[in-house]
Amino acid sequence: MAKKNDAKLDVRYSNSNVEAQTELPVKEDDRVSAIGADESRKVVNLETNYDAVELDTGKEYGPGSVHTATRSKMPEKQLFQFAEYRAQDAERTGYSNYSYWKSVWANFIKKKVAVFMACIFFALIIFTFIAPAISIYDAKTVRIDFPNRETRFVSPNSHFWFGTDSIGCDYWCQVWSATRTSIILSVSVSVGQIFVGVIIGLLWGYVRKLDRFFTELYNFIDNIPTIIYMTLIALMIGKSTLIMAIAMIAFYWLGTARNIRNLVFMYRDREYNLASRCLGTGLWRILTKNIFPYLISVIVLRLALSIPGIIAYETTLSYLGLLDISTPSLGILLRDARSNFLEYPYLLVFPAAIVSLITVTFYLVGNAFSDACDPRNHV
Amino acid sequence: MSENMKINTRSASLEMEFANRAKQVLSTEPILSARDVEVEFTLRGQRLNAIRRCSLDLYDGETLAIVGESGSGKSVFTKTFVGMLDKNGSITGGSIMYDGMDLAKFKTESQWRKIRGKKIAMVTQDPMTSLNPLKKIGIQIKEAIELNQNVHGAAAKAKAIELLELVGIPDAARRYSQYPHEFSGGMRQRVVIAIAVACNPQILICDEPTTALDVTIQAQILELIRKLQKEKHMTIIYITHDLGVVANVADRVAVMYAGQIIEIGMANEIFFNPRHPYTWALLSAMPQLGVKGEKLPAIDGTPPNLFNKVTGDSFAPRNKKALNIDFLEEPPMFDVTPTHQAKTWMLDKRAPELKQPIDVEKLSRKMNEPQPTSGDIEHPHMSPDREALVEVKNLQVTFGSGRKKFVAVDDVNFTIYKGETFSLVGESGSGKTTIGRAIVRINPITNGEVLYRGERISGKISKEQDVNVIRKCQMIFQDPMASLNERAKVDYIVSEGLYNHKLYKNEHDRQDKVKKALEEVGLLPEFSSRFPHEFSGGQRQRIGIARSLIMEPEFIVADEPISALDVSIRAQVLNLLNDLKKNRGLTYLFIAHDLSVVRFISDRIAVIHKGRIVELAEAEELFRHPLHPYTKALLSAVPNPNPYLEREKKLMVYDPSCHDYSVDKPIWCEILPDHFVYGNELELDEYRKELN
Repeated sequence: MAKKNDAKLDVRYSNSNVEAQTELPVKEDDRVSAIGADESRKVVNLETNYDAVELDTGKEYGPGSVHTATRSKMPEKQLFQFAEYRAQDAERTGYSNYSYWKSVWANFIKKKVAVFMACIFFALIIFTFIAPAISIYDAKTVRIDFPNRETRFVSPNSHFWFGTDSIGCDYWCQVWSATRTSIILSVSVSVGQIFVGVIIGLLWGYVRKLDRFFTELYNFIDNIPTIIYMTLIALMIGKSTLIMAIAMIAFYWLGTARNIRNLVFMYRDREYNLASRCLGTGLWRILTKNIFPYLISVIVLRLALSIPGIIAYETTLSYLGLLDISTPSLGILLRDARSNFLEYPYLLVFPAAIVSLITVTFYLVGNAFSDACDPRNHV
Repeated sequence: MSENMKINTRSASLEMEFANRAKQVLSTEPILSARDVEVEFTLRGQRLNAIRRCSLDLYDGETLAIVGESGSGKSVFTKTFVGMLDKNGSITGGSIMYDGMDLAKFKTESQWRKIRGKKIAMVTQDPMTSLNPLKKIGIQIKEAIELNQNVHGAAAKAKAIELLELVGIPDAARRYSQYPHEFSGGMRQRVVIAIAVACNPQILICDEPTTALDVTIQAQILELIRKLQKEKHMTIIYITHDLGVVANVADRVAVMYAGQIIEIGMANEIFFNPRHPYTWALLSAMPQLGVKGEKLPAIDGTPPNLFNKVTGDSFAPRNKKALNIDFLEEPPMFDVTPTHQAKTWMLDKRAPELKQPIDVEKLSRKMNEPQPTSGDIEHPHMSPDREALVEVKNLQVTFGSGRKKFVAVDDVNFTIYKGETFSLVGESGSGKTTIGRAIVRINPITNGEVLYRGERISGKISKEQDVNVIRKCQMIFQDPMASLNERAKVDYIVSEGLYNHKLYKNEHDRQDKVKKALEEVGLLPEFSSRFPHEFSGGQRQRIGIARSLIMEPEFIVADEPISALDVSIRAQVLNLLNDLKKNRGLTYLFIAHDLSVVRFISDRIAVIHKGRIVELAEAEELFRHPLHPYTKALLSAVPNPNPYLEREKKLMVYDPSCHDYSVDKPIWCEILPDHFVYGNELELDEYRKELN
């Protein structure tokens, strides 16, 4: 103890006062000087030869790894001398390299099943466009050009790959064009309702004054069964796909908006939003920059799950005869197959298989992607 | 021993106690002995070495404090003693011998059930979440008794009531059938302690039991723990980051850093003769020891990321006096005395000698002695041509309406002069944050007004003035984790204010300003392309400061800017605030609950209690002559990082019913020049007598 006290080297451990036996002229690189203009951090050179050491400041390194190579060759005497203090090393110690979307992607592709399903789905979409082309028939032509042969209810064979329907049309072409119609309809309705729902939900949740109005509106629309609206619209305005798509968007946004509103409540009074208010940030910027990014994973999930939901709903509407049947959709095929699927089960199996595939795909991919979007899952 | 150990104020009895403890450590067998414990967590494929070969002996009847920053592994280490690691963590090496068994080898819950609660019990940090809100307090204690003690029914109930009395809950029989929400935070923590000691455990692990509580309550809980330890003869492991609390409770102290115990010794050895550079840094970074007007010796940077492999001494990159060997090889534990070990190459025979940096006199300074100041500080409010920057007049803020109306701030008056640091101190719920937010206009005010440079800024004001006030009055927030938008890059966060008011000429100009702001707060400009979650608490807080600085404000409301930060980081932020004040001529409203910090940084201090300011004076004056009983109670509870003083301090308890304001109405009175106090004529007369 006593020996320690009459230390030859009286160095106070203090920030402003880093001095040692020898002090070379300040040998800082520009970053060091950037860190604290007033906290003069002088590089202390203690007879160790650092000229041999490369000072590659741009490179990232873990703590301590900087001079390991040089140091390991040092004689013992030097090992017990003071090392150079590098402020940016101290600042850097806690780092990881990170980019949001890169992490989302990295997390997503880890889920092999979801990636596989996504690939199948993209293949399916592409196939809906090329399938009719590789078939020699088209969807709406009744085949009567086969002499001595019944062309109605033909089971799948090498001519008619999916067989024919009750009036003798090629079922292969019908199934694929119906798939295309259904996907286009459901994706556009889904995106549309998410778009409307998210905007209204954000306003509903964030602007206190609007809360009452939107709550009443929600109650008003939600308390009357949708099917009544749909019937009225179909009968009064028309059954075209576009009108029905708009009508579906007009009701689907409700659930989304309510969901988003409840989430906005969670973030509305967080300190970072108070900070933004302090800076005078406008409503729109707060909604898009401060709140919306936090909801991405929920929105992605809702989007993905609503697509199979809309296909199912479209099936219901076709079943009730509220959809235009001139462009076949999966719902219409299913409705038609219903009457005689016991005798000709293939009529039901093909469209049902595709509906199932789409549903399962969106469920898996949606879940995986929304998990991947959640930064809590990024280390 | 060395001269450093000579302290005038030390008490002989405590000295004896430490000596006896030391004798015990040397002569008896430990009751629990952890050897080279390693704990690993798996987080999404990455492995985190939370505990890296950590050893510890625990002796019968002692109180061992484990100090460390968040992430140092102090909680995780002690959780291995009760088998309460999270699911993704596991002990991957070492042994924990207790009562002839190796706890590290335990696999099943049924094995643990014989130990956990019965032999080794735990008190957790947050009393708000550790009780079941749907069950009556008494039932929860009774459950613990019935499960572990083979006592049932009425007998168990009687025991539960007895326990409630033991932990100092008045009217225990009635309190027995109340729900947790009917208890205050401190009372809840008492209940949690009652449950923990229900089965007379041999070892009680207290994991930051007072961190969530106010200072006055904290002092009471510490007293309770000490009392229980004596009565039940328990051994206590006390985990904390607060060195003042350590000084209060600990016989022995272990300092943890990056998953290792880097220094362990008797409390007096650690406080007066620390040997590890990290312990030095930790002690000297405490504002209690700072010299007002000078920089605190801060530790740069942040603790290492334990996902990476740590080579050598984990503290080396932050150590200004690191040796070359620190970067290469992990130091072994060196003996300083038989009871005091430190893990640093500085103790090697070959190492150069380095005098320890902190002066012991600083530690032994009493709270009521003036804090040393560098030269003469000129407090802005003392200058004859002082300029009032912000005036708060009869401010009242209420929340809710009708029967649920709650008055958060009532009739508050004060003036902040240009260039000063004006502090608001009070316990949680006292309304101090509400005042701050009312000034920057996040909270609407019910009554009264706020003036900025003589102009009213509360209520409806012109758009032009609005923008002006936004630019000139900025705020720094408490929780650096919550106050930054996690989904935006630092670049956007810092320039948000610029975007809002188009305060830049072109893109290049904006980037330039961001770069300057980041440099001003000591961050590298390259950080601007990163996301907030990559940064540590201290760095995040500095980003928050940069965000307000870029508006070139005159006045900043700092709402508990350091209370959520680790000890080693606090000094960085305090220094930064002081530098900015000096360089930019800023004025602060500093809101805090920690009096030692406030004393270091403030020119004037206002003490607030239940929405009213009860006393307002120059910082040293307030510490010298506290008048209001609440101020006195608050000052008496402040933890002092000196075991000798801390153990002997006398706690004062404030009871609001000591005021009789039924006839004689209280007034806000300037009792001395610039020393205000709230009281009625009778009390004021007494205060005047006290002053003379």
